[in-house]
Amino acid sequence: MSDRGHIPESRQREAPRADLKWIGRSMKRVEDPRLLVGKGIYTDDVNLPEMAHAAVLRSPHAHARIVSIDVSRAAALPGVLCVMTGADAAKVCDPLPTWASPPVLQPVIADDRVRHVGEAVAAVAAEDRYIAEDACELIEVEYEPLPPVVDPEEALTSTGDAVLHPERGDTNIALERTLSFGPVEEDFAAADLVIERRFRWPRSGGQPLETVGAVASFDEGAGRFTIQCNTSMYNYCGWMIASTLRVAPHKLNIVPTLAGGSFGSKMFVHKVPVLAAVLARAVGRPVKFMEDRIDNTTSCDNHASDRVYYAKLALKRDGTLLSLKTRIIDDYGAFLQFGVGQHGNALSQCVGPYRINSVEVDLAAVLTNKCQQGAYRGFGSEVANFVIERLVDAAADELGVDRIALRRQNFIRPDQFPYLIPTGNMYDSGNYQAVLDETLKLADLEHWRAQQTEARKAGRYIGIGVATCQERSVFSATEFWMWNLEQGVEWTSSPDGVSVKIDPTGKAFVTLHSPFWGNSPETVAAQVLAEQLTIDPADIEITYSDTDQGLNSTGPGGSRFTVMVTGAIVGAASQIREKMLRIAAHLMEADVRDLALEDGAVHVKGVPDMKMSIAELADKAHYYRLSMPDDLDLTSGLDATYVYDHPVTTLPDPDERHMGIFYPIMGHSCHIPVVEVDVETGQVHFLHYAAVHDCGTMVNPMTLEGHIRGGTVNGIGTALFEEFAYDEAGQLTTALWTDYLIPTIKEAPADIVVGHVETPSPFTEYGVKGGGEGGRMGGPPAIAAAIEDALKPLGVTIDSLPLPPSRLRALIRKAQGRAA
Amino acid sequence: MKPPRFRYLRAGSVDGAVQALADNPDARILAGGQSLIAMMNLRLVRPACLIDINRVPDLGYIREEGDGVAIGALARHNEVKHSELVRARCPLLTEAYESIAHHTVRNRGTLGGNLCHADPSSETPAVMIAVGATLVLQSVGGTRAVGAEDFFLGTYETAARQDEMLVEIRLPGRGADGWAFAEISNRHGDFAIAVIATTLSLENGRCAAARVVASGVGEHAARLVPAEQALVGGPVDETRLDAAAAAAAGAVDPHSDSHADAAYRRDAVAALTRRTVRRAAERCG
Amino acid sequence: MERESISVTVNGRTYERAVEPRRLLSDFLRDDLRLTGTHVGCEHGVCGSCTVMMDGVTARSCLTFAVMADGAEIETIEGLGSADAMHPVQQAFWEKHGLQCGFCTPGMLMTAVELLKRNPDPSVDDIRDAISGNLCRCTGYQTIVDSIRHAAKLMREDGA
Repeated sequence: MSDRGHIPESRQREAPRADLKWIGRSMKRVEDPRLLVGKGIYTDDVNLPEMAHAAVLRSPHAHARIVSIDVSRAAALPGVLCVMTGADAAKVCDPLPTWASPPVLQPVIADDRVRHVGEAVAAVAAEDRYIAEDACELIEVEYEPLPPVVDPEEALTSTGDAVLHPERGDTNIALERTLSFGPVEEDFAAADLVIERRFRWPRSGGQPLETVGAVASFDEGAGRFTIQCNTSMYNYCGWMIASTLRVAPHKLNIVPTLAGGSFGSKMFVHKVPVLAAVLARAVGRPVKFMEDRIDNTTSCDNHASDRVYYAKLALKRDGTLLSLKTRIIDDYGAFLQFGVGQHGNALSQCVGPYRINSVEVDLAAVLTNKCQQGAYRGFGSEVANFVIERLVDAAADELGVDRIALRRQNFIRPDQFPYLIPTGNMYDSGNYQAVLDETLKLADLEHWRAQQTEARKAGRYIGIGVATCQERSVFSATEFWMWNLEQGVEWTSSPDGVSVKIDPTGKAFVTLHSPFWGNSPETVAAQVLAEQLTIDPADIEITYSDTDQGLNSTGPGGSRFTVMVTGAIVGAASQIREKMLRIAAHLMEADVRDLALEDGAVHVKGVPDMKMSIAELADKAHYYRLSMPDDLDLTSGLDATYVYDHPVTTLPDPDERHMGIFYPIMGHSCHIPVVEVDVETGQVHFLHYAAVHDCGTMVNPMTLEGHIRGGTVNGIGTALFEEFAYDEAGQLTTALWTDYLIPTIKEAPADIVVGHVETPSPFTEYGVKGGGEGGRMGGPPAIAAAIEDALKPLGVTIDSLPLPPSRLRALIRKAQGRAA
Repeated sequence: MKPPRFRYLRAGSVDGAVQALADNPDARILAGGQSLIAMMNLRLVRPACLIDINRVPDLGYIREEGDGVAIGALARHNEVKHSELVRARCPLLTEAYESIAHHTVRNRGTLGGNLCHADPSSETPAVMIAVGATLVLQSVGGTRAVGAEDFFLGTYETAARQDEMLVEIRLPGRGADGWAFAEISNRHGDFAIAVIATTLSLENGRCAAARVVASGVGEHAARLVPAEQALVGGPVDETRLDAAAAAAAGAVDPHSDSHADAAYRRDAVAALTRRTVRRAAERCG
Repeated sequence: MERESISVTVNGRTYERAVEPRRLLSDFLRDDLRLTGTHVGCEHGVCGSCTVMMDGVTARSCLTFAVMADGAEIETIEGLGSADAMHPVQQAFWEKHGLQCGFCTPGMLMTAVELLKRNPDPSVDDIRDAISGNLCRCTGYQTIVDSIRHAAKLMREDGA
């Protein structure tokens, strides 16, 4: 096991307990009242005096040189304040931030060439958005088309004019390398059987209902930008935006607004705030740039993984899984914002919940004439889940054994945790058998098997799928750079901070340093602080800092925020508690060790009358310094800040025998959908859906279930409908929401039956694990398996998504043709 | 995503509207706007002038006309969908409405506007052809009635001249005994990948007349005459169902797009033909 | 630039404004009247975020020109209830976790209010039909159905 690294000691302070009052309660959300009455302020709701509005002229070509741009007619339109081309922008800002190493340079407005349909070619600031769009139509651009690169496998051999970034060499391969962990060749040599499949995972995206936007202003007197924006990570690396804007980091304040959904897509938005800022500076007025839906679908920062897999699973005849080899071609589009972080992510759980001894991943990240990739619920690991689950299904079929039984046989056992997988990542805890058992119960498998048999006699096709999937949570920064060949941003920290203050009346104020983006940060913070200080959540007010006030905070993403904010609150609350106890001990003339905090007051144990409420202690702490102990380290007030570091992470091995522990808080899920396929039309209907998740200790079961169900329907979208499809010319044929098919309620199962298993993490406070992404990480392989099971009599195999009726019908037609 | 500029005229009467059309050769009618405004927001269409008929009084009627039904140009989809008169006399249209758009869109959108928009994947044109509806067009020169079959000429193209306004839709009394509507779309309520609207009459167990009309699989809704011919004259049994389905699939020349390829549309036409004909025959009692 | 004078009653208050004919009702409400509770998600009539009540029935405000609302009675989320006096539908969405990011919520609430007005005791299928034109990317819809059923119950109890 030494090849897999070492496991540090746990730094957990709060063990899970049965007697928790607020943690574990399905409390109504703190966030909701203002959202329900239309008073939440999202970016587009920000209105500043004299604010101008921006619109962007976008490239109609996938790949072309810009020969000339004439903006004179646009600039002359009444109401237009500024027309900015790529050349103009390059004079006032640098390329956008990137984690890719070596970097792939991305200008905020295209300079000499456009690299995908929808890339910005010019931007207009005007008195209103209508005029700005009118002006865009008046800009005359002459293009010289270049060959479009659309197919990722063809991109492997591009040369000459088909190369997107010639300064990086005569190739569209951004990064190609193989990482190998453990005795892969020996394991393959020892195998009785090798399952080989090619998989195709489609390009989809988070597509929250709210697009990305920013309202920027520039204070010429102070030389300072202020940007209100629906981005995350502003207190982690917001300074990167300042660098792009060519100001010192303290000359930029990023102010978060509410975000109307993210699912990863607003993790670190860069184009939109930079564009708003350079326009604001140019026109001397605040500028709002709110993407419209086409801005967003064609040129957001966050189309998701778009991969071809050639996968091989080696196993023994007795069913023992041995080793996994994958060749991956990932179509990154035209730029690489997060480097190949999605593949760092995928290494965290690429062996699934199974004991697999060795792994080899051969990755080619290619550049094509498409929108760039970003994050979407799973950030690459959802694809790895699909691949391993499909391979295990195929292995079971090949061996002629039950798909469930083969999983059980190879599950990591409960007594094997913490468990290091071949890549070096740790699975902190788990009980996969228990999750499977619970799901089988909820799914009523026997009933549906009987239904399936009956239906087949009547010529109907019912199928049952089972997927048992990992749900890693709490990334450390390693995932962004571990694949890089050259040194880049090799950070090892990914903390989250909070500030907590008890005012002199005993009310609690919490400042979060990461934004709301559709999750429940205020509810979680209130529940954990209420637990820690034994107060009522109604006495807690939650606000958000900007970068001026902010502590180092990575923010939501990678299912990390609940774990991280819980840790930060525990850290801050313990400081406050300690101070209260010291003051109380002094005032009640008691020993600190004889005191306890209960029901909002410090008690002397065993003396019912001897107590001081938090309000009384806060009053003393604020206004009665001379009544407190005369200790130098004690100061007035009752407040604390705490930056909670990643609970357990280690560095990659210098020789890359393993990549260290980088994504260890490991949840698990089992999804069992039951579907009926109409073989004449290829339509899929859900008859039942059961999902059980183990996200460790649950802070709020209601909101966790919300994530599970919402994520599952995202997964249905990925499996059945959604695709950013580019044609041969590189035109995005699904840029509108009439064509990019987000599930409506009619495509969602009426009842997703959700169950829970709680296997606490030994490393996080209270044993909490993240659960923000699991639905989408478990749904697609389960749905694929169910469809395949339904069509078993026809011999259809599923290795490519999505499966809208036309695609599924094509598979059925082919199978029927073979049979006939 | 904002619409381009246009001149706005509000009509107070049908006569006023058609006069405005005559006076403004670059104008078109704005009814519910549920398709038109979306396309204007995308700047895919840019009429120089819109004549808003939403204030024209008494144009949203749904009333008996002989043994049929007359529907005014401003009747909203939801009013037609929930009309007992329509259900009694043209149940095919009522059934089709289960697949048409979503509630809020149906609140504003009008049947007349939908027909004039002539989207090739729209459901209502197929229904109109299947039941043999008549569309009444008015201009300053007078009115004329056009059979639905002659009204739809191409993608977003109808027999209505620029100076004509659709003022009334006339549904005949129930001519056929059996009827059925079926649609496939990727998501419920989306524009169709394929639609089949079928009407059928049986005499002594044999098919006496049939209309099988497709939408979504060509430039406009159209009868699939070979499928109809395959049915007429015999019992609606499995052999004829197969023949009709095959004939229907052979009669269309569908396109491929991001929603479905041509082969799928052909398969869908076959499947929906079989299903609607079977159901229509069952309904003949 | 030609402008039309319009008079629109929103949440009981009448506003007189001059607008360009092309101005969308969604922009009129949000930018001219600063009623930003009505959200804009797609601007081509697919998502339903911008749903408001117009003369008693729901309308997509991104598919309506403000001039078409001249003389109309509009109700928006701001007119439904306040944080300390929520409408039963708002209360029910809070209790049943019918929202996460909150962006689709105003449109979803207006659609639910309309449904409950015409059908005080809707079935699950009635609710699924009614909100099938409103996209939600967060919830998977199930708790929205729960919320509307719960709201129906609260409203029936209120009325009883």
